Amino acid sequence: MRIIFVMDQRIDRGSIQSISNYMRAGDELGHEFALYGLPDPRFPTIRFSRDVSAFDYVVFLIESSRRWMSGLRMPRLFAEVPRHRRAIVDADGMYNQVIASNNYDRNHSSEYIRAEWVAHYRVVADKIFQPTFTPREPDVRKLLFYGYNPAQQIAPESSPAKAHDILHVGHNWWRWRQISGELLPAIESVRSDLGKIAFIGSWWDTIPAGAAELGVEAAFGFDAEWLRRLRIQIEPAVRYTEVIAAMSTGRINIMTQRPLFRELRILTSKYFEIFSADTTPLVMLDPDHAEMVYGPAGRELALCNGIGAKLVDVLSQPKKFREIVEEVRVHLLKHHTYRNRVQELVAALED
Amino acid sequence: MKLLIVSRYDRSARAINTIIKYVRVGKALGHEVALFSDQIGDMPDVPTSRDPKAFDYVMFVVYETPDFPDLPYLAHLLDGMPRERRIIVDCTGRFNETIEVEHDFNHLDKLENHLGWEWIDGFSAVAETILQPTPTPLRADARGFLFHGFDPGAIERHYDSAEEAARSWSGKIDNSKQYGLVYVGNNWQRWSQMRSLLKAIEPIKQSVEPICLTGWAWDHRPAWAAELGIQGIDTDLAMLQQMGVELKGNISFDQVIPFISQGKFCPVIHRPLFNQLGIVTNRTFETFCSDTVPLLMLPVQMIESIYGPAARILAVGENVAGHIQDVLSRPALYWDAILKTRAYLADQHSFQRRFQELSAILAK
Repeated sequence: MRIIFVMDQRIDRGSIQSISNYMRAGDELGHEFALYGLPDPRFPTIRFSRDVSAFDYVVFLIESSRRWMSGLRMPRLFAEVPRHRRAIVDADGMYNQVIASNNYDRNHSSEYIRAEWVAHYRVVADKIFQPTFTPREPDVRKLLFYGYNPAQQIAPESSPAKAHDILHVGHNWWRWRQISGELLPAIESVRSDLGKIAFIGSWWDTIPAGAAELGVEAAFGFDAEWLRRLRIQIEPAVRYTEVIAAMSTGRINIMTQRPLFRELRILTSKYFEIFSADTTPLVMLDPDHAEMVYGPAGRELALCNGIGAKLVDVLSQPKKFREIVEEVRVHLLKHHTYRNRVQELVAALED
Repeated sequence: MKLLIVSRYDRSARAINTIIKYVRVGKALGHEVALFSDQIGDMPDVPTSRDPKAFDYVMFVVYETPDFPDLPYLAHLLDGMPRERRIIVDCTGRFNETIEVEHDFNHLDKLENHLGWEWIDGFSAVAETILQPTPTPLRADARGFLFHGFDPGAIERHYDSAEEAARSWSGKIDNSKQYGLVYVGNNWQRWSQMRSLLKAIEPIKQSVEPICLTGWAWDHRPAWAAELGIQGIDTDLAMLQQMGVELKGNISFDQVIPFISQGKFCPVIHRPLFNQLGIVTNRTFETFCSDTVPLLMLPVQMIESIYGPAARILAVGENVAGHIQDVLSRPALYWDAILKTRAYLADQHSFQRRFQELSAILAK
């Protein structure tokens, strides 16, 4: 099957890592994947094509904005590919009722905006997939979409030196409440037992221009003084090609998720790429969800209670946690490789 | 002809004046022209429709990507009107290879998230006929159609002779002009030319005071422009304050002619990109409806081809201060040129003429 993705690709965020993996795994399985556009040296692992009519299906990967699906871009896609050969991966759960997690994070600011999204989706595609085990809308199909690529795994002997005890790789987008309410107090309580800590990503020390105009200033909350007091370094975002190596400079990598995603149990690239890094991943998920994704060993890596003590415990028992991580990797290899994901996508499109 | 116009309608930006002229002049000529929209609250007398099937042609008037409607409306348009009866008026030269002129450009990925090829592909997918408001399109598959026009019925004040106009303009009949020089337009790719103009008139400032700039972003450089490093939206508030320039925000399209008429002089400035491509704008024509002396700061070739031979004398040239002083000392000479140019514009560039040209293009 020939499948072309259409998305708003960015080098240091979003789902570009998974698109790269679909291309590699697709080649192995005899399916051809490409990304809509012209070859771009910023994306060295991505195969691009503009020839949409040469593909069997167009898959739109939509996150929290649809401005990129402009009236300039869409007509050509509509003209060349009929709706029954177009599908949407609704990566951020926009095709749902209005959900406001703890009156903080939300998918839509109003019912009116939600209705616009729904109308948009219905025009764009026949099939809507969401990367969650439990879609809520009856016309949405489960498609986990993101996966694990064992070939990306960095072995301890080839791993970069450990520069940090704790790393958090991700952008500050609706994460501050979890970070400030759970993680930072825990770090504060055991700070003297921890070495270097860094947050890698955007908006931990600045709010992007236009956030207030768009009414999303709350998504970028931070407290620079608190971070400074805790000696947490802020480092710029890294390219998708370097993210696993960057994670491997930390003994522990902490994965957080925006509340909306936790509520909808939406998977992301990071769920899996963090296990390709030479590190001990600790995921701020409830243990049941961690087990659902990572298998029974995943419960041990869920960071939800006694966070400070857990951080110290992981640093003091590296062998024990390395074994737990290996157990999770075995589970991922069995259930969540991109070979699995390619087959699932092909089946879902053909269904 | 039943014509449905598709664009983003803003009372103080882009082609709203021209679009409304198409509605009104079209009706007078027996055409039916409506805007693709729900009823527009602040323009209740303008006909609107969401039903492309009720029209012969759909005309997209495009400056930016948001001028295409959002889904699902766009899909309704594409489904309801075949491509060969869809037209795009490409007001800013998007349907070209990427062009940079000084700090101006027709495509900028970092600002609009669309590369040059997408403008070509996108326009071609939407419409069979791409029109550009220039006499000289660069691409073989684009056609020249000036789109904007001159409405003699909108002239603020009619004169029987240049002498009468000069007496009135000089304040010898009444002294109603509030400003020496006004400009109406948003500060997008115009600052370098405006700065040059202001610098040039600084030595004779007392002759053209007070000065007023009206439009968006003359008083500040937006944060996003600084963040993206876009130079075409610069300003110098200290310089403007030092020269005593009054700054006003946007004004509605139906206030432009009366407002410009409050100034003795009004520059006609086009973006550097437009100067290179020969693109005209609404203001190219509308300024001649105002009771003012236009200062034509355009390429000489464009002045002659658009305004006719009489307008040559209205070209500012290198010696801006000298030109203004000459107008002040011999106003009848310049008003003679203005009145002749108005007549030329009425003959060559009326909206009636535009409709004839458009009909001829569509008939082919």
